[in-house]
Amino acid sequence: MTVTALVLGPLVIGLLLYLVPREHGGIARLVAVAVGAISFGLALYDPAAGDASVRWLSRPFAASFHLGFGPVSYWIVVLLALATFGAALAVTGPRSRALAAQLLILQGAMNGVFLAKDLLLFALFWDLMLIPVFLVLVEFAPHGRTAWKYLIYNLAGGLALLLATAAFGYLATTTDVIGKSLPAGTIGSVWGAWIFAGFAFAFLIKTPVFPFHTWMPETYAELPAPMVAVVSAVQSKAGLYGFLIVGLPFLAPEMARAQTLMFALGAIALIYGALASLVERDAKRVVAYSSLSHLGLIVLAVFSGSNLAIAGAVVYIVAHGLFSAVLFLALGAVEQREETRDLARLGGLGARNPKLAGALMLGALAALGLPGLAGFSGEILILTGLYRAGFVWPALVALVAVVLASAYMLRLFQGIMNGPEVPDLPERRDMTWTEALAIAPLVAGFVLLGINPAPLVARAAALAQPAPPALVSVRAVPEDSHAAGAR
Amino acid sequence: MLLYLVWLLPLVGGVGLWAFGPQLKSWAGPIGSALVGVSFIATLFLWRDATAARALDVPLGSWLPGWSFGLLLDRLSLIWTLIITGVGFLIHVYSIGYMDRDRAFARFFAYMNFFVFAMLTLVLSDNVIGLLVGWGLVGLASYFLIGFWFYKPTAVAAARKAFVMNVVGDIGIMFAIFLIVAKLGGIGYGLIFANVGSAFTPHELFLVCLGLFIGCAAKSAQIPLHSWLPDAMEGPTPVSALIHAATMVTAGVYLVARFAPLWSASPDAQELVGAIGALTAIAGAILGCAQWDIKRILAYSTMSQIGYMIMGVGIGAYDAGVFHFLTHAFFKAQLFLGAGIIIHALADEQDVRRMGGLRKQMPFAFAAMLVGVLAISGVPGLSGFFSKDAVVYGALQTGHPWLYAVAVVTAGITAYYMFRLLFVTFFGAYRGAVDPSDLGIRHPELAGTAASPGHHPEEEEPHPHAPGWLMSAPVAILIVPTIAIGWLDFGSNSAWKQFFAGFFPRAADAAGAAPISEAVSTLLVLLAVAIGFAVAYARYGAPAALRGAIARLRTETIRMPGVLVNAYYFDAAFEALLVRPARALGGWFDRTVDPHVIDAGVREAAISAQWLGHLFRSFQTGLVRAYALTLAFGVACIVAYYALAFGGGR
Repeated sequence: MTVTALVLGPLVIGLLLYLVPREHGGIARLVAVAVGAISFGLALYDPAAGDASVRWLSRPFAASFHLGFGPVSYWIVVLLALATFGAALAVTGPRSRALAAQLLILQGAMNGVFLAKDLLLFALFWDLMLIPVFLVLVEFAPHGRTAWKYLIYNLAGGLALLLATAAFGYLATTTDVIGKSLPAGTIGSVWGAWIFAGFAFAFLIKTPVFPFHTWMPETYAELPAPMVAVVSAVQSKAGLYGFLIVGLPFLAPEMARAQTLMFALGAIALIYGALASLVERDAKRVVAYSSLSHLGLIVLAVFSGSNLAIAGAVVYIVAHGLFSAVLFLALGAVEQREETRDLARLGGLGARNPKLAGALMLGALAALGLPGLAGFSGEILILTGLYRAGFVWPALVALVAVVLASAYMLRLFQGIMNGPEVPDLPERRDMTWTEALAIAPLVAGFVLLGINPAPLVARAAALAQPAPPALVSVRAVPEDSHAAGAR
Repeated sequence: MLLYLVWLLPLVGGVGLWAFGPQLKSWAGPIGSALVGVSFIATLFLWRDATAARALDVPLGSWLPGWSFGLLLDRLSLIWTLIITGVGFLIHVYSIGYMDRDRAFARFFAYMNFFVFAMLTLVLSDNVIGLLVGWGLVGLASYFLIGFWFYKPTAVAAARKAFVMNVVGDIGIMFAIFLIVAKLGGIGYGLIFANVGSAFTPHELFLVCLGLFIGCAAKSAQIPLHSWLPDAMEGPTPVSALIHAATMVTAGVYLVARFAPLWSASPDAQELVGAIGALTAIAGAILGCAQWDIKRILAYSTMSQIGYMIMGVGIGAYDAGVFHFLTHAFFKAQLFLGAGIIIHALADEQDVRRMGGLRKQMPFAFAAMLVGVLAISGVPGLSGFFSKDAVVYGALQTGHPWLYAVAVVTAGITAYYMFRLLFVTFFGAYRGAVDPSDLGIRHPELAGTAASPGHHPEEEEPHPHAPGWLMSAPVAILIVPTIAIGWLDFGSNSAWKQFFAGFFPRAADAAGAAPISEAVSTLLVLLAVAIGFAVAYARYGAPAALRGAIARLRTETIRMPGVLVNAYYFDAAFEALLVRPARALGGWFDRTVDPHVIDAGVREAAISAQWLGHLFRSFQTGLVRAYALTLAFGVACIVAYYALAFGGGR
């Protein structure tokens, strides 16, 4: 019940928001805030919620409308609820109704992606989560081509994902496999390579990883701040999550074969993103490129096969979600006041906006991996795991990226908040209570997670260890495993 | 439980003062000071537990098996904790007077309290990750306080430089952690020290030590990662005294002493650390002779003195190195606070060329500085004499004659530049009214020594005046240990040696007995000090030199060798070799590769594929609606398919 509500609730409420008159955007915004808060409460209240499952296909392969919490997805859903709550609070302006509605649709679709226990359902929600972002880009982005670039890239990935899923289902006779295991040899090596290629293409575009990343800086820069906070916090994790729940259990030989290539792409992304954000002038694009760098690190972790690194990857996935949301929300607040994101024009805001400066500082510190905050706890677990598994050079490259991160994050912060005040910028109001309320839970999250990531590490341990063999014999498709039905 | 109090009270202060600063107003200073003071007293109550056979170890929590965190108060961390909270308390009290007219009074004390908390985390952790957390957080506190006047571009740049260079050190420690975890599977000190011999090959042990030492070098301003420290003087003077002299910059000494079992097992690492320490000692001292900014002179002297300490702990004379930390914490805090009195009285003037003759107007500051200068120069009877002598002779005892020679020469240079500082500042006639260009100062506003804008807006004319009791009392208290603390280590069976008896691994007596006795060695050092003093007196202190002071300072400024003015061109080298290439590469990625290589490639591939090419054309011709319709149609098809399939599934 809980998991179904988490997916369908925001979707339905989001659509219904279009019934609210256009000029009452404030109401739509309040509803979205409430939905975010309720989903957060629901996930925390019922962490052991059972699965909901309805069979919907039996030919050519079995598929179910099967949703449930998994070891990684639980925390991502909590993160998404927090991010949606904060983003909805930050919605302002004449078109808030559309933005609030699309935020909820996005939340529902992404909850679907992360809670799906059926690959086909996963792929379906995967494509669904494009739509709200695309529509918001069409409506809000200053350049029309951004929306199309986003759509074409991600649709190409979605198509590959759908084809790979179909092939997977055909071979395994079912797609209701997430969180279970398949008998060895179900996916032969010939088909395995193609299926893996399909999944990997989709996942690499969505994350994104070099060289599939060029849609990302533009999209992040032109999306309104509330939307980009959610997209960068959660949507960018869908690909990494896919590698963790599809790649590791079912395509391990292919993952191992692709390791060198993926390490190269991840390491390039790490340095490429870091260097680009060192010179970028648009504040939101700085954070976008920093995401490219940080997510490259998680790619390294996922493909290392080390339990420690994978536990670190799970921590870092949530940590990055928390701090990138804080950064984008804070930058949104800056842009709203100063009407520019150009670091060359901004400066000296800290004198009149100490609270906003504090929020941006905290986000930047978590992002640069300050020991004691969540970025660090994820990073040290990943890097230690990488080194321990024998990947010395990737670990050293990542250390260089740590130094670069401190340089570009401080450049971002100081460029906006420090230095002499720039005289011709319009408004100097400090952070409002709503803005503070939007950011505070996210900050609390990455502080707590930095002090003790144990709850995430414990759940991740379940993921990294191979599932007990023959727990579920998928090929036999016993009726009772699906007939359990919705709870 | 008391240990929690010691550790967390400053954090409570830091967060509380930051959050409620505007409401607390002038109460922020006394509250912040009191919390650190209570922390100090609580530490004293823990003395017995810390020095017991089993040191105090309080568990805190665990991330995963082997990654357990806790607080450890043993003899080594006790010494550091007492200095951090004790000297920290005095500097807090001093700051109430020093910062009294600053707009961000509460924020200053919030940062200072946060620093104390971070530093305590560093020294109290019983594992490497906790140490690294403290290591990073003191770096952050240092960043906040260097950039405290964040409207000054120089301060902002200095803060960023300090932070980034310290992160270079952090990754060194991270590298050491990788090796430790890979070999041992855990992070606790106990586990590491119990398995030093069995778990690591000599090569691995050297790499662990090297990683840790990169951390030391960055934090303790050792060559080549030292150049942030002089710039860090952009921060308020009490910050320089607490963080960039007494405590944080000596964290590297703590690290080497803490990991003494590792160093003692890796002779290569010992040689490296000892050599870098000696090199830093002499290089910093030489630069100290070429500076005109009173705080920069002290900064280079700090760098040089930490070089002594690092050399001491590096070559295995651990208790001597730690003792030099102890005495240095007092006399350097004393010197900085004395300098602060002058700077405060002269409305933020820091250039010694524009001082002179302050002895008569500011007798208290003169007395304080004089005691400090005598102590740091190693005049017999004062604290610096005992500790420096122990380190210098330790080099000979452990069989390092070259390091010994460097240390003796450095002692002479130290006496020279410290007395130079004293003579130029306090003797002769006051030069504040002299035209800066007559002193050879071409661009006072560019030299970074001009009065900082906005700090003391109401104080217009610099007029030497006596400090308030809040500023003079801490300095007066510090004079006592500056003079007397050295006697703790007097004689072959001193209290200090007994305190650390059996704590550190014994240094291998490589060369057996030293070639000369300690008394002869002491005489050699004193000879070097006397020469240094004599040269300084002849150039700056003698009546003839004082009469021609203005002309002399002018020629000296103009003729100063470029290699010294530019601090051996380290910054220029970093700029040319690292910063510019990184920015150029980043710019190439951002402005060329992304749009003109990757995007162009994708576009070409897309256009050559027929259907995608069509798609591109359709939106380029503006048929957005048509495409949206196509999309909607596609989605509808998919939905319809699944609806039908769902119906047929059961």
